[in-house]
Amino acid sequence: MAADVHSKGVTWDTPNGNLAPVEHLPSSRSESPTPGLVEGTEPGGGEWVEEEVEEKEVEEKEVVEKTEEQQRGRAEGEGSVNEPKREVQAVVREKEEDVTSDAWRLHKKHVFVFSEAGKPIYTRYGSEEALSTTMGVMMALVSFVEADKNVILSIHADGFRVVFLRKSPLVLVCVSRSDQSDSELWRELHYVYYQILSLLTLPQLQRVFQQRQSFDLRRLLAGSERVTAGLLRLLETDAGLMLNATMSLPLCSTTRNNVCTSLQIASSKNLVFSILLAGNRLVALIRKKEQHLHHTDLHLLSNLAASSSSFRQGEGWTPVCLPKFNSSGFFHAHISYLEQDSDLCLILVSTDREDFFNLSDCKQRFLERLKKRNAYQALQEALHSPTYPVSQVGIPELWHFVYKSKSSGLYTSPELPVPYHTEEQQDRLMELYQHLHSRLHHPTRPLRSIYRSTNTENLLAWSTSGFELYLCFSPLATKALAMSAVTKLLKWIRKEEDRLFILNSLTY
Amino acid sequence: MTAMRVDAKVVMLGKESVGKTSLVERYVHHRFLVGPYQNTIGAAFVAKSINVADKVITLGIWDTAGSERYEAMSRIYYRGARAAIVCYDLTDSSSFQRARFWVKELQTFEEHCKIYLCGTKNDLVEGDRGARQVDYHDVQDFVEEIGAQHFETSSKTGNNVDALFMKVAEDFSNSALELLPEEKGVNLGQKKNSYFYTCCHH
Ligand SMILES: Nc1nc2c(ncn2[C@@H]2O[C@H](COP(=O)(O)OP(=O)(O)OP(=O)(O)O)[C@@H](O)[C@H]2O)c(=O)[nH]1
Ligand SMILES: [Mg+2]
Repeated sequence: MAADVHSKGVTWDTPNGNLAPVEHLPSSRSESPTPGLVEGTEPGGGEWVEEEVEEKEVEEKEVVEKTEEQQRGRAEGEGSVNEPKREVQAVVREKEEDVTSDAWRLHKKHVFVFSEAGKPIYTRYGSEEALSTTMGVMMALVSFVEADKNVILSIHADGFRVVFLRKSPLVLVCVSRSDQSDSELWRELHYVYYQILSLLTLPQLQRVFQQRQSFDLRRLLAGSERVTAGLLRLLETDAGLMLNATMSLPLCSTTRNNVCTSLQIASSKNLVFSILLAGNRLVALIRKKEQHLHHTDLHLLSNLAASSSSFRQGEGWTPVCLPKFNSSGFFHAHISYLEQDSDLCLILVSTDREDFFNLSDCKQRFLERLKKRNAYQALQEALHSPTYPVSQVGIPELWHFVYKSKSSGLYTSPELPVPYHTEEQQDRLMELYQHLHSRLHHPTRPLRSIYRSTNTENLLAWSTSGFELYLCFSPLATKALAMSAVTKLLKWIRKEEDRLFILNSLTY
Repeated sequence: MTAMRVDAKVVMLGKESVGKTSLVERYVHHRFLVGPYQNTIGAAFVAKSINVADKVITLGIWDTAGSERYEAMSRIYYRGARAAIVCYDLTDSSSFQRARFWVKELQTFEEHCKIYLCGTKNDLVEGDRGARQVDYHDVQDFVEEIGAQHFETSSKTGNNVDALFMKVAEDFSNSALELLPEEKGVNLGQKKNSYFYTCCHH
């Protein structure tokens, strides 16, 4: 049972975080679950454009240091990043893609993973075999810089950037034509790294390479390509991965309470987390006392569940490592849909790999109780409208927004209106948000707020200690209008908070 | 354990993409999923009731993932199984080597588990004899040597799928009585490991 680090290895008090430099949230969900509207700093006058924040977070300092190293380690001159060409990427990777073609080169974002021996492990497009030379060259570059006791972090060239993440025994590289910053790309590479850990655990990963440096890790990762492809797509579409937050499903508070208490009661000795999801929206989360689920781990779980239809076939049972919780051991997850063809996916996480039938029973009890209280019907109905139109807020010229409550680690967002009905337009909007996000969280010059006007929309981003807010207005909006909109929106969110968010954080 | 009244534990084993999930899908849900192949992650459990003579027998089927990553977990899926359907792909000879591995594993650790060797994707070799990579008679010899059963199925057309699971259920039904006393002994001896039985036998 070499691959299975059993529950005994799971320590409950592992500190999170030190693996990830870009981490703005405290790892735990706050005990005061109310969305953090407390700040209430009203934007004042015109001066709030590009206002700099004095204090910086510790993690950002880390990035700053790296940036200095990067100056020394940089292999090529800096170039400006041009507006890249749009390209819609399919979730399913095309293995057969010709890696010498222009289409391959023009992909917006490539991701490569290889071992320190330069052996290919993963590529987003094309086959690993065809790219083994490319990855060999990348490894040579890494080694060359390291020979000088230096670390290569990124290369900026005309129109694209190459970002390196060194996580021994792996090297992860992203080649991006988007205008995301280095730290945003690092965050994404970290996700890919955690994804690999979630399948293998860190000790197993280290062990196979200790035993044989030239080990072909693809053997152990076989069958996970869809999971990784799904994750990369999620990084482009779900603002939650950028915001370190999870989207909650809007639900009337009576139904939510019913669902939460039903789930809370359906407990079992070794159960650590009970998670009810509708797609990638969180409906309810119950946890063991003192234990906290990191949003990264939650995204990995929800992506895993979405990645294989095998969870629709019956009840899934799989070992899974939650790397932010503890990268050295496996949990065991019972993953199933509440009913055939339902969108409601229940994930029960246990420390015991022999717990399947206990958890299966928990699910049954949960479902029975839901039905008895008529909450199941209400839940199904809520799923018909899993989101809300922005018009509910009643702000003219407001097209869309993303609001994250920092204390709860949840975010809410209305449905995308007409200009964003194509995948291409949705990706474009996400990229605008990502750009604003990287400006707000710039490692050396973070901003408190930023207003940006383009031909197609006007955007406003604002970060306080309580929340983070991104707004998208029609091009007709003005800065004055945007500012008054914020106050109005915050009021509306406050009024609707028990529907939009999960206010009580329940334990078993 | 209300919903999980299971009589016999059945485990699906075999190299990845040989068609274990498709076999279970065909048998349980009477369908064949087209579209990109989706690997099983970990394992999937599904219970299915079947009429044998005048009895109703519920099979608890564990569809395991073929990926090597989960190999260390495989014991918990086949432990206590009454039947193992070891699958290989008729168009892929390496998958038969893998099937031999599973047979050996079962013979070593689960001597009471009946083995059913199942050649999958029969439809692919029906139309095109050249596509066949695993000889019928070679497998037949092997099967006789180890005292197993042999089937060739197609989940796409449904060919022989019901017959396979029917045979599994019948064999279980016939052997259930004679095995009972011995099994009790096993249960007492390995109390810690008897969790599957606690819900399987009532
Ligand atoms: N033509 C044909 N194709 C089949 C048949 N059975 C399975 N396939 C195809 O083979 C591929 C793999 O099938 P799965 O049933 O998912 O394989 P699996 O053994 O469950 O694979 P893992 O879960 O990774 O271990 C899919 O693309 C199926 O469509 C069959 O009877 N005929
Ligand atoms: Mg399968």
